[in-house]
Amino acid sequence: METLFGIAVDGVAYGMILFIISVGLSVTLGLMRVVNLAHGAFAMVGGYVASYAAQSLGLPYPAALVVAVALTVLATLPLEKLLYRRIYGHANELGQVLLTIGLTFVIVATVNYLFGPTLKRIPLPDLLLGTVSLGPKAIPTHRAFVIGMGAVTLLGLWWLLERTDFGIRLRAAVDDPAMAAALGIRTERLYMATFALGTGLAALGGVLGAELLPLEPYYAIRYIVLFLAVVAVGGAGSIFGSAAAALALGITDTAGKYLIPNFGEFFFYAALILILFRWPHGFFKGRTA
Amino acid sequence: MSALLEVEGLSKNFGGLQVSSDITMSLHPGDRCALIGPNGAGKTTFVNLVTGVIPPTAGTIRLAGQDVTKLSSAERVRRGLIRSFQVARLFKSMTVREHLELAVLQRDAKTFRLFASVSGTPGLADEVAGLLDTMGLGAVAATPVGSLAYGQQRLLEIALALAMKPKVLILDEPAAGVPHSESQRILDAIDRLPKDLAVLMIEHDMDLVFRFARTIVVLAQGRLLCSGTAKEIVADPRVREVYLGSRAHAH
Amino acid sequence: MMSATPSAATSDRTDAARMTASSPPLAAPLKTPRDLGWIGVPVVAVAGLAAFWLFPSDLGLLTRILAAALYVLSLDLVLGYCGIATLGQAAMFGTGAYVAGIAAVNWVADPLALLAIGGVAGGLIALATGALILHARGLTLLMLTVAVTQIVQEVANKARDWTGGSDGLSGIDPNPVFGAFRFDMVGRTSYLFALAVLVVALLVARRIVRSPFGLACRGVKEDPLRVSALGGSPKAYLVAMYAVAGVFAGVAGALTAVTSGIVGLDSASFSWSAEALVMLVLGGTGRLYGAVIGTVAFMAVHHILAATDPFHWMLFIGLFLMGVVLFLPGGILSGFERLAGLLRRKGDKA
Repeated sequence: METLFGIAVDGVAYGMILFIISVGLSVTLGLMRVVNLAHGAFAMVGGYVASYAAQSLGLPYPAALVVAVALTVLATLPLEKLLYRRIYGHANELGQVLLTIGLTFVIVATVNYLFGPTLKRIPLPDLLLGTVSLGPKAIPTHRAFVIGMGAVTLLGLWWLLERTDFGIRLRAAVDDPAMAAALGIRTERLYMATFALGTGLAALGGVLGAELLPLEPYYAIRYIVLFLAVVAVGGAGSIFGSAAAALALGITDTAGKYLIPNFGEFFFYAALILILFRWPHGFFKGRTA
Repeated sequence: MSALLEVEGLSKNFGGLQVSSDITMSLHPGDRCALIGPNGAGKTTFVNLVTGVIPPTAGTIRLAGQDVTKLSSAERVRRGLIRSFQVARLFKSMTVREHLELAVLQRDAKTFRLFASVSGTPGLADEVAGLLDTMGLGAVAATPVGSLAYGQQRLLEIALALAMKPKVLILDEPAAGVPHSESQRILDAIDRLPKDLAVLMIEHDMDLVFRFARTIVVLAQGRLLCSGTAKEIVADPRVREVYLGSRAHAH
Repeated sequence: MMSATPSAATSDRTDAARMTASSPPLAAPLKTPRDLGWIGVPVVAVAGLAAFWLFPSDLGLLTRILAAALYVLSLDLVLGYCGIATLGQAAMFGTGAYVAGIAAVNWVADPLALLAIGGVAGGLIALATGALILHARGLTLLMLTVAVTQIVQEVANKARDWTGGSDGLSGIDPNPVFGAFRFDMVGRTSYLFALAVLVVALLVARRIVRSPFGLACRGVKEDPLRVSALGGSPKAYLVAMYAVAGVFAGVAGALTAVTSGIVGLDSASFSWSAEALVMLVLGGTGRLYGAVIGTVAFMAVHHILAATDPFHWMLFIGLFLMGVVLFLPGGILSGFERLAGLLRRKGDKA
């Protein structure tokens, strides 16, 4: 029982981190049709900025979080204009893969130059260090916080896409880009805003998940396969698909580590192949924007 | 003589829309038939149904007496039901000669020869030369198709169809996009097709239709309105009404 | 009612557009098979022999480069001639390397037999996985190829008794080639053996891309739907070429195992797959010799830069990749071709 509870809490928390990071990738892939392998690098940049802000500048955790997200978005927006805009569209996967691998390498090298190869931490405030009791059980406050933030992100995105003008335009453009352009939706600005949203979410996930996905320069390469797997299973552009896929993946992976430590990854990728064989556009494709 | 292509009660629904309903027709060896009808009459859907691009809701399609309704489009091609495309669909970077080589090799099921050479395939060069000659494409044999004039691309489409040794050939607007002055070349090419072949041409240009067809089939709103010789069709008041009515509507 | 047919036609056409669009434009369009004609193979052989005399103390590195060139060549068959963008070529390389390595440790000592074993293993895994995954396109296909690689790596990692797990598989000690040429300490035999294998592989690959099968594959790369309208099955061609490339990759893996004597987990890794893609694109896709040139350039620069600091190397290769995508979408070879074109035009004017 204890193990099951532990798996559930750790699995859901892990899944939420995967969700927060991957959903940004999913939205940019769904709209701009760009396979962005540098997405993990953006998450890593967020984590490093927060770490620097908290450790070297002494900012409190919430401020470091906000600064990290804001700075990552500001730093990557020029990339959208200079690089990504040239490779939008689904006809150019190979170019996208290569350009974004190249960008990832550059970011990895730069981060290593600026911060060194050692593991970086983001010290948690005392508030997040203890445990919270949930009936007879106690769960680590940080895990509860991560799960809560994941839920807030999910609801926030749902609200943004279903209830706001931006969301309506975004969904229209995802469904039919040519029609959206014909209706006078300014796709250029929409793309930029969506790109900012995607990198912002990556940075947020990078900061929140620093305890689970440790910050070091190879972070960008190590975890991108995980994020892509979430998007592939969840279906590009699907928020609830990403959430479901990320949670399923997080729980499976955690359960695998607890229960069958030798073959967790093997089962994960085998399941991925079976799912994609049966549903090549993602298991959850088409449920919502 | 027995029919090469028999279509019986062919129907297609998209959602609640009936885009083809209960079409019955047949083609015999040597037939030169034109399928006409106003925009939205269901001509393209009909071609897609017959060639197996989309499955019908009801009805049967027989090719040389055999039921092919359930077969894939590639399988129908292998049995001699060949189409050309309305918008020229060619391999842009391959040369004219390579197109014909591929079509002939594919027809003879020789495309899984990994260690043979294309140029060393017996009889291939001669057959391709013959096709190039028939269509008047000899001068551009080594030209990549991407840099070919549009009329020549249309000729290559027909040459490709011919290379596959069809029993039934469906030409989907073979002269679409070609200047009127050049359409004669295409008709000449069609005239040189083997006489025992059954040809169905989908066409808008009535001038072309009358020059080509010995029989005409008229589709309107997904149904077969009437069929007959060119003279009968011109005289038929229903055709005039549907055609001119919708023409006037469209413009 | 009237609108039904046009909408059906439109959806048909967009479908077609999507299928066509999936062939990556980076894989430069082939006018004719641009494989430098007959001259390429002797050039590679002569350059290889020249390197043998010029850099006698670097034969270990040079041998690795040759085996890697064969591996990248296998990717060119898939990407350059079929248009399949894959991040999973290392699955075939790794399988070939491990199966040949295990055979060498336990049963077989003849180097040529080991290459054959590796080739068969690579071909079989490509055939099996290709049949399973090649219906997919785009991101899904990329993910599936990644997943296959990860599974191969995970199996290799867990079957420690056979593969040595993360310690790597060692103790590969093949007999002399043809019973006459012993694998020496300096690596002369290894190098010449690898060079011979690469040259033969280039000849075979050149034969294949000029065969009826190669022609059909180029058709699939450009427009799969048109190929089925000619009566062919695009997926059958893709799977067949994937398997053929799997044989090449498997031989490359076995060659690495035979010449280096060890096989590590990184031979079936995501990054080794990605590096193959990078090397191929550096050299240029769809040319066969692009694979050789890209591999030599990549690994030579890697050797120089990574010796000081691996991150210098990453910065360099990252910037270089971005530059290639943005400014030289046909790879290094196309750069030379363009340069040659410019010079010729200048020469004409003068």
